[in-house]
Amino acid sequence: MVYQHLTARLRFDEAELRSRREFFELHDEDLARLARLRPFAEKYMDDIVESLYELILGHAESRRHFPDQATIRHVKQAQREYFLGLFAGRCDLAYVDDRLRIGLAHERVGVPPKLYIGAYARYLRLIFDRLLHEFESREEFHAAQQSIEKLVAFDMAIAMDTYIAAFVDSLERHQAAVRELSTPVIQIHDRILLLPLVGTVDTQRAQQVMERVLMAVVEHQARIIIIDIAGVAVVDTKVADHLLKTTEAVRLLGARTVLTGISPTVAKTIVQLGLNISAMHTRNRLADGLKLAMTLVDRPAAGMADDALVSDVGGDQ
Amino acid sequence: MRDHPIPILRVGKTLLVTIQIELRDTVADAFQEDILSEIERMGAPGLVIDISGLDTVDSYVARVLVDTGQMARLMGTEAVLVGMRPEVAATLVRMGFQTRGLRTALNVDEGLALLGELLGRG
Amino acid sequence: MSRSVSQHALPIRAEDDVVLVRRKVRELADRLGFSSFAAAAITTATSELARNAWVHGGGGDAIVEEVERLGQRGIRVTFTDEGPGIADLSRAMEGGFSTVRSLGLGLSGSRRLVDEMELDTAPGQGTRVVIVKWKRL
Repeated sequence: MVYQHLTARLRFDEAELRSRREFFELHDEDLARLARLRPFAEKYMDDIVESLYELILGHAESRRHFPDQATIRHVKQAQREYFLGLFAGRCDLAYVDDRLRIGLAHERVGVPPKLYIGAYARYLRLIFDRLLHEFESREEFHAAQQSIEKLVAFDMAIAMDTYIAAFVDSLERHQAAVRELSTPVIQIHDRILLLPLVGTVDTQRAQQVMERVLMAVVEHQARIIIIDIAGVAVVDTKVADHLLKTTEAVRLLGARTVLTGISPTVAKTIVQLGLNISAMHTRNRLADGLKLAMTLVDRPAAGMADDALVSDVGGDQ
Repeated sequence: MRDHPIPILRVGKTLLVTIQIELRDTVADAFQEDILSEIERMGAPGLVIDISGLDTVDSYVARVLVDTGQMARLMGTEAVLVGMRPEVAATLVRMGFQTRGLRTALNVDEGLALLGELLGRG
Repeated sequence: MSRSVSQHALPIRAEDDVVLVRRKVRELADRLGFSSFAAAAITTATSELARNAWVHGGGGDAIVEEVERLGQRGIRVTFTDEGPGIADLSRAMEGGFSTVRSLGLGLSGSRRLVDEMELDTAPGQGTRVVIVKWKRL
């Protein structure tokens, strides 16, 4: 998933930031308190990061995400920067942006949420253990502990959002790929396209088929598209109606549709629908449809005498 | 010519109109009148209307376009609508919009070729 | 239940307002990453209904909203007018495509372009139409 997709999906603006900080009870005084802990953070940074990676690298599954020493050096450095970022005393859109990028980096290398959260838990223990010795008063320690917890929880929420957004994004891309595969438009000749339609055609698929056919016609500047429906399981009146609509839309673009694979049953359905067949180019066999397409393709565009008969289809009442 | 920026060009004997702005209803109406008076003035045998610049065509504008073609035809001018975008074609068909005997072509070149064939290359 | 993420109220008092409402919807559709087909569908339906409010309703208002339901993004547009209302609703929804400024054309055509349409009207009571289009996963 690319960063732009993520931000577009999450729509993290000032209003969202305000709302979140309110719910996480992350106030300005928390941020100020964290900023005052900066010297503490610098003092223990290396110690905490090293200890964190003892857990991460000591665990077989977790270890797999860090293949070599260079990677480990790199992530440790990133971790130090992240750590100091907690004590920078700010939580604005730039901060969120930084967190989104970190979340995306984790997602990209395939770190699952369980490892992410597990590592965070140790992270907090490491920080609190050291924090305990920083303060003489119990109240001050508690206040600092709470401020850290709030900001870390805020960060974790962003990381979870990133994981979910990336997951939905990959789902969408997967769906798009399936759509492409289920309607393969093939260029079989200069300016002639073929779409062999196979399987079940429901309303949603019919819509996808129409969109794909229209895009392909314009993209290839094709004069003819052959739609072969021999492989369509059931051609009922609904499917026939969709096919006719597609034919009509193709005509509006200035191209023609040749429908092939018209079985006796399909022919019956179309006639019983009362559709005007004089405006349609149809054949039983794909080979004959291709021959027909070859004779039609040299004439420019649609809108010729044969297509003018479309005016009889329903027409204006 | 009125105060709408839709130029009507001459390509040989054919009128070529390229619509590149979003059409308000009154602009569409004025556009129709301008084309018809230009046909009357020039006696052009062919008219090509290029709508590749339109990302939305609602029923009103579609009706104006179809009607313009029909009116031109009554005046003895063959009209071809070219360059309709896939989204526009799908939307019009889904709405159930009837386009009667509207002549269409993929692009301006195809439209001119179609007119050439219709008018016997004269 | 769908949650309204953002709202824009726009008046429909003149022809230019029809264009502005349409443009707002198109912008939102593009920003939400609607497919070009879905964007054209919701924009066209908006154009039809805004024109209805202007021509038949004597002007009215539109509210353009970005909505969210279970992580799915969508656009909701609400049109209201204080016009004469629609007496014969079923006929209007059948969609006669014969006259240029036919009311039915806007209503029936729009319904085929969107995922949800809600219509509330009575003679003399004005008209309220709500349409929703979801971004397809």
